[in-house]
Amino acid sequence: MTPEEIQSALEWTTRINLEIYYFWTVAIMILIHVGFMMYEMGASRVKHTLASGTKNILAFAFIIPTFYMFGWWIYLAMPNGFVPDFAAGAAGVPWSDAMGPNLADNATGVFWGAFTLFACTTASIMSGAVIERIRMAAFIILAVVLGSVAWNLSASWGWHPSGWMVTRWGYHDVGASGVVHMISGFFALGVLINLGPRVGKYNADGSANRIQGHSLPMTKAGLMLIVTGFFGFFAACLIYFGDLATPGQWTNIYGGQTTLSAFCFNILMSVAGGMIGGYAKTRDPFWMMSGALCGVISAAAGLDLWDPSFAFCIGFAGGVIGPIAAGILDRFKIDDAVGAVSVHGVCGIWGLLAVGIFMGGYPSHAEGVPPISFGGQFMGMLVMFLIGFVPGYVLSYIFKVCGILRASEGVQHIGLDVEIQNDAYPEQIKS
Amino acid sequence: MFNSSPITAWEGAAAIFTWAGSGGAVLWFWVMVILCLIPIVTSLRAENAAERAHGAGGGSAAGASG
Repeated sequence: MTPEEIQSALEWTTRINLEIYYFWTVAIMILIHVGFMMYEMGASRVKHTLASGTKNILAFAFIIPTFYMFGWWIYLAMPNGFVPDFAAGAAGVPWSDAMGPNLADNATGVFWGAFTLFACTTASIMSGAVIERIRMAAFIILAVVLGSVAWNLSASWGWHPSGWMVTRWGYHDVGASGVVHMISGFFALGVLINLGPRVGKYNADGSANRIQGHSLPMTKAGLMLIVTGFFGFFAACLIYFGDLATPGQWTNIYGGQTTLSAFCFNILMSVAGGMIGGYAKTRDPFWMMSGALCGVISAAAGLDLWDPSFAFCIGFAGGVIGPIAAGILDRFKIDDAVGAVSVHGVCGIWGLLAVGIFMGGYPSHAEGVPPISFGGQFMGMLVMFLIGFVPGYVLSYIFKVCGILRASEGVQHIGLDVEIQNDAYPEQIKS
Repeated sequence: MFNSSPITAWEGAAAIFTWAGSGGAVLWFWVMVILCLIPIVTSLRAENAAERAHGAGGGSAAGASG
């Protein structure tokens, strides 16, 4: 072979490896949704089971086309703030040549797919918090705004090599503690404030009742599937260069050097730390498994750089923080049915701040980008809170005023499955 | 706040994790070991309490046929 032919063959091999890699991250990430669906259905009482599962699947189904319509464009066009860069966003317009089968472009479809699945994850996180009383139409609109607008904006600002939070503050969030988990958790909080608790959750004296879901085994199996799916999620947080002009090491989303091995060490260690932390704090099977999510979300922002022992400790702390935060929310009569605000929102805060506290001294990965700092992480945390909470609160408030947010007490008593005209277990099991 | 970086430049860097090559990595290793031991001890205590309350024929037969 001539040198030119070898060069061409290498380029094609690299390009197709890239395509294969991201294609399968998309497939693995779908397991997150299988897991969240099982988690939610198990956490629902029998009479609400199918409504909870249907709601979760519809979030997935609606995010995909809306992310195609405008979500990808928002990510590409908004790294400077609220003023769009139309030139940068041109490749994300649905009728551009890149946004469909194109023999000269092996990358856009798989990157779009991976980002779409990140978006679906945000909606799935919110979905669990609001089970057993939210109405379907309102939920779908909220899910689209979270997954195809709010999340994309935060990602464009803080999870993009040119994002203004990155270039001005050195914001470091490689595994999306803030840009996915905080956004979703605090969007859910905004919705929960307007949605109100499930009927029967709180007594007149302010005390809370524990509403047990109908299948804790289903919830636990779902959580393990979410953990499996997170391998696809985090794998897609890495950049695999598909051309020989930039050969060499993997990079994180900001262009900093890293490895898949780094992610593997720290994902597993933080998952284990969270499970053990949740178990140590509560000895409750639900919080032991949710502790896995608390752990990995707590370590996610620094997956590229944590010492694995330290990732375990951060995850352990997350596994303790999650149930404490859930208890505090309960005192404020915020009925978060699956702990989404505490697991994703509060542990997301911990994850961002942990990077600011414990990850000082690293050189900048690009010229003009400030190094990691506590101030940058703290400011980033505030921005993430606002991008999540404000749209969730405002939109759900509008729906509340319009009377389309919350199912009536009568429907909640009969079960939301009546609205989809089906029973999860028609023969025997009664709630 | 804590300077945990083992590197000053990315060129030629190898072990880049926090506290690599320093006592910090050993410290956090032992913290991890202790954190693993705590729930084992608390589990043992809780199980012993359950054994005292329900063991030695005092519990139901559920699960005994396993």
